[in-house]
Amino acid sequence: MKISINWLNDYVDLKNISVDEIVDKLTYAGLEVEEVDDQAKKFENIVIGYVKEVKKHPNADKLSLCKVNDGKDDFSVVCGAPNVSAGQKVAFAKVGAVIPNGGMKLEKAKIRGEVSFGMICSERELGLGDNHEGIRVLDPSLKEGLSFAEAMEMNDTVLEIAITPNRADALSHIGIARELSALFDLQLKYPDINLKESGKKSEELASVEIRNPNNCPRYVGKVVSNVGIKESPDWLKKRLKSVGLRPINNVVDVTNFVLHEVGQPLHAFDLDNLGGRKIIVRDAGKDTKFITLDSKERKLQSNDLMICDTNKPVAIAGVMGGENSEVTSSTKNLLIESAYFNSSSIRRTSKQLGILTDASYRFERGTDPEITKWAARRAAQLIQATAGGIIAKGEIDAYPKRINKKKASLRYSRVEKILGYKINNSTVKKILAKLGFEIKSVVKEGITVMLPSYRHDIEREIDLIEEVARIYGYNKIPEVGKITVTLEEKVDHSAFNDRIREFLNSLSFYEIITNSLLSEDIAKRFGNAINLLNPQSSEMSHLRTSLIPGLLTTISNNLKVNEKDLQLFELGKVFEKISDSNINDFKDFTESEQLLIALTGNRIKNEWFEIDSPFNVYDLTGFVESFLTKILPDISVNLKSVDESQSKFDNSFRLYCENQIIGLGGKLKNELCTLFDLDQDVYMVHVDLSVLKGISISKKIFNELLKFPKVYRDVAFVLDKNITSAQVMNTIKEACTNLLHNIKLFDIFQSESLGKDKKSLAFQLEFCNSSRTLTEEEVEKDFRNAIKSVEKIYNAQLRGS
Amino acid sequence: MRADWHVLGIVAMIEKINETRKSFDEDLSKVENVTTLEDLRIKFLGRKGLVSQLFESLKDVSKEDKPKVGQALNQLKIHTQSKFDELKEKLEKDQMSSDEFVDLTLPGRKRIIGSKHILTQTLDEIKDIFRGLGFSIYEGPELESDYYNFEALNFAPDHPARDMQDTFFVTDKFLLRTHTSPVQIRLMEKKKPPLRAIMPGKVFRNEAISAKSYCLFHQVEGLYVDTDVTFAELKGTLVAFVKQFFGQDIKYRFRASFFPFTEPSAEMDIWWEPKGKQGRWMEILGCGMVDPNVLINVGIDPEKYTGYAFGMGIERTAMRKYGIDDIRILFDNDKRFLTQF
Repeated sequence: MKISINWLNDYVDLKNISVDEIVDKLTYAGLEVEEVDDQAKKFENIVIGYVKEVKKHPNADKLSLCKVNDGKDDFSVVCGAPNVSAGQKVAFAKVGAVIPNGGMKLEKAKIRGEVSFGMICSERELGLGDNHEGIRVLDPSLKEGLSFAEAMEMNDTVLEIAITPNRADALSHIGIARELSALFDLQLKYPDINLKESGKKSEELASVEIRNPNNCPRYVGKVVSNVGIKESPDWLKKRLKSVGLRPINNVVDVTNFVLHEVGQPLHAFDLDNLGGRKIIVRDAGKDTKFITLDSKERKLQSNDLMICDTNKPVAIAGVMGGENSEVTSSTKNLLIESAYFNSSSIRRTSKQLGILTDASYRFERGTDPEITKWAARRAAQLIQATAGGIIAKGEIDAYPKRINKKKASLRYSRVEKILGYKINNSTVKKILAKLGFEIKSVVKEGITVMLPSYRHDIEREIDLIEEVARIYGYNKIPEVGKITVTLEEKVDHSAFNDRIREFLNSLSFYEIITNSLLSEDIAKRFGNAINLLNPQSSEMSHLRTSLIPGLLTTISNNLKVNEKDLQLFELGKVFEKISDSNINDFKDFTESEQLLIALTGNRIKNEWFEIDSPFNVYDLTGFVESFLTKILPDISVNLKSVDESQSKFDNSFRLYCENQIIGLGGKLKNELCTLFDLDQDVYMVHVDLSVLKGISISKKIFNELLKFPKVYRDVAFVLDKNITSAQVMNTIKEACTNLLHNIKLFDIFQSESLGKDKKSLAFQLEFCNSSRTLTEEEVEKDFRNAIKSVEKIYNAQLRGS
Repeated sequence: MRADWHVLGIVAMIEKINETRKSFDEDLSKVENVTTLEDLRIKFLGRKGLVSQLFESLKDVSKEDKPKVGQALNQLKIHTQSKFDELKEKLEKDQMSSDEFVDLTLPGRKRIIGSKHILTQTLDEIKDIFRGLGFSIYEGPELESDYYNFEALNFAPDHPARDMQDTFFVTDKFLLRTHTSPVQIRLMEKKKPPLRAIMPGKVFRNEAISAKSYCLFHQVEGLYVDTDVTFAELKGTLVAFVKQFFGQDIKYRFRASFFPFTEPSAEMDIWWEPKGKQGRWMEILGCGMVDPNVLINVGIDPEKYTGYAFGMGIERTAMRKYGIDDIRILFDNDKRFLTQF
């Protein structure tokens, strides 16, 4: 919201306070000043100049050589304007000035051989209009040397203030002035209204009927007759322009002025266009269509509040007036509306229609029901001053649902308990009084105040405490230097995921964070996706059902910048509907935490010590094993190949912990690679973290280190290609006693010489016993049993025999 | 070396095999280069080497002893061959890389250590500071109900305060949470004071994607509820935090603000002076005393207990700390970006 400092001065005397102080105090008090526009600044180094003499430029026909006085010195200035002549008062931009329109910085310049110390400005150059025919000739009574901004009263500073939604009371100049009066301890003065009323009473000239008092508790109408619609006077136009409004005509401008003065939105109807000279405030009813001031047809809901005459709607209450009753150049008689509407009702209508106006913005935040009459009278006063006319006596004041002021109490002890700091009781009282809280009663423990009708945000003791604290100044409340640490159990929900991140980092993986919103097509490919009611775009219309698309997009983007070797992971939530019915409850959808690990490109690339080596599925399973032994210590996880047509992977596998599936992985199928524009293999595994977190890990206990030597036996089998190493190892384990400590597969060999569809697997068996040295015989016995079993079960042959 | 095998029984045969293995291991340990390795090969693994000789003598072993001896021999063969291969590969590599001159300026055989996303790293720093101040860490759901995200936090149904946060709705009662504050409610519903926790997580806003805003970001919420929690303590705690995070000489200020779920409410700014640019105040977090209505909503008596809450954006904090000026780069996950941190 724009607030003019010059305008504020009408209500509170800020002459001795700097703009910086005002900006600081308002900002600290919760009215954040976001921008300060010092209008005088753009006229810096532009002064009133007196044109002493004008001669023809010796070297150019269309140029003149002028002597301009700035109140002290004479300057030689080259000017191209046809209308320049001696004796004029002009806007003289001196060397160093920046021309407001265009931003050119003036320097001493030689023009056709003559030196020019500055420039005489046109209206356009000053940014004040479009005229560029010649220079702007000023009022001859202006004193040369005076700054242009001051002389033209363009020395205003306009603040852009961000008003939080609770502070409807601050959406006007008087609102801000009231705040400043409390902050700087100044007197707030409302403008005097002395109306020259004559003729009939307003009530005799028009009438008001409220059919929905809940949504319109109060409606004040005032009649002004026989006005002359014309352009507003300069002072009014200047005020409106300073807050960014475009002047329209004197009557409309007055209503806008009062809105920005006191925060009460007004509407002026052409009384002669009101059927029955009557206002009826009622719900729109079924199938109402209405053309608003901006010539657009609006469709209304049956419970939208409308201002109507006896036969038609004339305005959407609190939102926008209608074309059929607006003030035009031929309007003679006016009905000024100054009403108080229910904020929720206006908000609903404004949202529904998608219309946000200065009026609806204030009504939906809550206006002051008690200012309505004052505002109507103020408008009448200003209309008469600018448009003439006869102000009818009195006002129509339909107030079917009286809004009573409320009280609230404040305990001094509570102020201290909340703030941790004692503010003087007298200071507390003074602050509240300055903000308009009328003190009703004072006891030793505290006070009771009447709440001003413009402060809808204040109802309770805590609200009063905040008022006291923010006006007193948060920065004056000292910070405590020590705190008490309570000793209740400490919880860390994030610890498990943090460990995962650290293990994966140590295995060379980088963490990524991707968008949780996907297109419908992609999201549905991976699950029963949940859609947004109000998406930004079709690219982001559904919640992600899998981390895979985000990761593939990431890989795709990296490939585009030639980053081809990637080890990435993401931890994040995915969402799915349980069924196709709507979501009405947390039971209707799942939000589960997932981990996705992916590799693509080369494990080793362009190294002097080794040949390039692309990632393969064994790199993936290796990482998974390393990772899982860390994250699930002493828990056996089985990897089982699965062959499913549904799967997203070739060489796909599942990870089982006992009988639970904790993850799925493999080499990404080509169709998905193509979908994401990837021309290289991607290996990935995704792990369901909610399952992983559910696996209980037994407390780690130290294992005695072996004191006796281990005995090793190596063996190589030739067997059918499709027998897995895990199968053989299991057989070996089963055939041996508990002396077998470990088995390691150390060689795989395939060749024609072994026979077609055959392979050789070589294992090293490690035997030991924690309490004694093993004998040759017992090892030999286990070893032989193992060989026999493998030979028998898999029809294997010992290699080399 | 050729001995009169066939008169020896199984015991002697096994012994011989073991001896050969031992002598192989010994010789192997003395091999220094490819030439001496070749000698070793000829001696043990050549066509007429010791291992072949042993295999040859297998025919002289009695039938009943054959399997046992045969197996022992097989093992010997595997052992010697694999050890030989292993060493050969190693020596060849070594010879290639450092024949006579060891160039230590060659790039070493690096192992890459990955890293957490910069947002996670920033959060880690924040968590560490608050852990040190006695805070627990809680998390909550991202797909929330209107009740937890708004209603319980004292946002009236039709109030313009709801416009402060552009919301992605899933239904009229479910939405993507717009802040981490609903976790406060969930926590207070479950546990009774004293409660001191931070609650990090992902939040969503229906704002057009630009250099300044993204459709999602991360927040850390803080909450402390006990019998004597004050605004002065809130200030002290947050000042301790910003000093530790941004440096002890950081300039800061508190100014009044509005959040439906705190009262009094404040925002904390820090003075920010990027290199070569004019300094200015920048908002770093929102905070305040927990509104009594919020405490009532979770069944905590606001006369007995008071509390403070705060919330800050992690993206903003990280961008400030590392001088990043476009939020989108955080979610592009470009490797050239990821590997910088």
